[in-house]
Amino acid sequence: MAPELLVLVKHDCPVCDQVLPVFDDARAGGAPVRILSQSSAPDTAEQARRLGLGEVPALDEDLEASVRYDPDAVPAVLLLDGGAERGRVEGLDRARLSALAAQVGTTLDVSGLPEHRPGCASKARDPEVAARLAARAARRDGRIRSRVLTVGVLEDVHEALHERGLTDGLPVVPPTPERVVAMLAHSSRSPQDLVGSVPPYDGEATVEKVAINAVMAGCPAEALPVVLAAVEAACRPEFALHGLIATTHPAGPTVIVSGPHADRIGMNAGGNSLGQGNRANLTIGRALQLVVRNVGGSRPGVEDRAAHGQMGKVGSCFAERLDGMPWAPLGVARGVDAGDTAVVLVATEAPRLVIDQLAREPEALAASFALALRSIAHPKLVLAMDGLLLVGPEHGRVFAAAGWDRERLCEELFERTKAPAGELARGAGGSAEGIDPKWVSDPAMPVQKFAAADRILLAYAGGDAGLFSMVFGTWVAGEVGSTPVHARVEDWL
Amino acid sequence: MALEILDPTAEQTAVERPLAPGMPAGARIALLDIRKPRGDVFLDTVEATLVERGFSVERTAKPTFTKPAPPDLRSEIAERCDAVIEALAD
Amino acid sequence: MSCGLHDVLAFERAGRPAVLVASDVFVQAAADQAVRLGAPGARRVFVAHPIQDRSDEEMRALAVGVVDELVTALSRPLT
Repeated sequence: MAPELLVLVKHDCPVCDQVLPVFDDARAGGAPVRILSQSSAPDTAEQARRLGLGEVPALDEDLEASVRYDPDAVPAVLLLDGGAERGRVEGLDRARLSALAAQVGTTLDVSGLPEHRPGCASKARDPEVAARLAARAARRDGRIRSRVLTVGVLEDVHEALHERGLTDGLPVVPPTPERVVAMLAHSSRSPQDLVGSVPPYDGEATVEKVAINAVMAGCPAEALPVVLAAVEAACRPEFALHGLIATTHPAGPTVIVSGPHADRIGMNAGGNSLGQGNRANLTIGRALQLVVRNVGGSRPGVEDRAAHGQMGKVGSCFAERLDGMPWAPLGVARGVDAGDTAVVLVATEAPRLVIDQLAREPEALAASFALALRSIAHPKLVLAMDGLLLVGPEHGRVFAAAGWDRERLCEELFERTKAPAGELARGAGGSAEGIDPKWVSDPAMPVQKFAAADRILLAYAGGDAGLFSMVFGTWVAGEVGSTPVHARVEDWL
Repeated sequence: MALEILDPTAEQTAVERPLAPGMPAGARIALLDIRKPRGDVFLDTVEATLVERGFSVERTAKPTFTKPAPPDLRSEIAERCDAVIEALAD
Repeated sequence: MSCGLHDVLAFERAGRPAVLVASDVFVQAAADQAVRLGAPGARRVFVAHPIQDRSDEEMRALAVGVVDELVTALSRPLT
């Protein structure tokens, strides 16, 4: 292929207006000149008409040439030899343009042109255009494989998504290819890597599918690796997600982000961390539940049989507060390196408050916690559930001052949540629930509430002021139910 | 201009699954208890009634109603029995 | 109910007819799920809700009431 001059222009650029006639003339005179316009067909035609060009420039389809040669500005004139670039001039520089043209044996009539003019920004640099091109490239090279759904021009996109059954009842962010590609940029994993098989219909959650649902949830893109880790953990068989989805019990997955990455993505581990206001906290849990709905296929009233449910099933996620923590983070306690971040999932009800504004000693505070823990599900129901105790900073100080670590506190809580068998028997206290009397040989014998001390999980978060902690009861636990699980954010970065 | 979005579902079109042929006369039937309360009382009576009608019956249970039956248990049942009654989901 | 339907279809896949007994609150949900799982004909028999607070006598009566249906369901040939 003979050497040629490739001229990139756009319609809304006064400098392009100035150089176009010069190159159009050269081309008409037989010079090896190819002109490509970054603009639309109508705009290009209008410019050609306005300038009185002999030929309407061809279009740079998909801005392919513009992206390949990537000029900052147009007009950009490139000397190509067999497709390879030998030189270029961006903007208007009379002398340099003449010199470049001379290399293909062409003399340009630059007499009417100013000496120097900077060009205008290349259209390929427009952020919206760049996003669109990135999305098209992702589809072409197979990183994006999902079916495309079209929302008609007369439809309201939010109504359409709701009617298609793709939302949790709240509006979602429409997952355009551009938004999904931008989300995917925050994980180095292949979009087609399998994260997990999601019940109840064993839907395959690829990185791409999780990213689509994360966009819908409104996640900040840097939260994607946390969402991926949450989905990975949720799909582990020991978490029993299928049963958790289908049960009449109100529990849902609570996501605890334990480690330094939480702060890097702007999560809230302090005041109101279980409440509204923090985008990452609210959307990470929501993204997981949208995956359960859209990838797994679970719908309330059909597969999801919760009698009441609770707001945590829209999404339940918080970060552990690392500063001032009386013991090692939950992630570290579960074997994750202190420098890494664990995403811990527990199948929980909505949290309940524990107030204690008077305890100064750890034993007394543990006694208050134990009273609250005993009431998980029903005070007379034992061994069936685990407990998650979220200790607030003003309470945590009491244990830190006394040098109690996680094991010490859990042992204390395990002992203090025991109760005499007689009090727990069916009929005792006028309540029909409880232990079958045939198991109560000695009414004074202490019966444990929890299967073991380490079935009481401790987390730490909350605001600086407030002598409060929170108790989350769990769904059915252990071998016959759900076991807490975790995955590492670092595996999904 | 129509808006294009990416499908957030698993895009499953489940292939229609064929069912097994009906059980033969005199079949051996497994009564699989999912272990919800009262299910055992129900299955006691089902067992007695089926035996009266000439079926042989085997009682078994899965570890928990909260998960599908473990594959090992399923294989064992399929090997020893011709048909299965799973009860009682409420 | 959902886990039970998975089990039933796994047995069918292994060549053993299997029927799920569920309380009648699940009639529609079971039908929907069966379709979703690609087996609209999945065998299922229903008993009257509620179950939890029934006496032993009542449970026995429910059982007697459905044995015919169970045998018919399991004897059904492939259509």
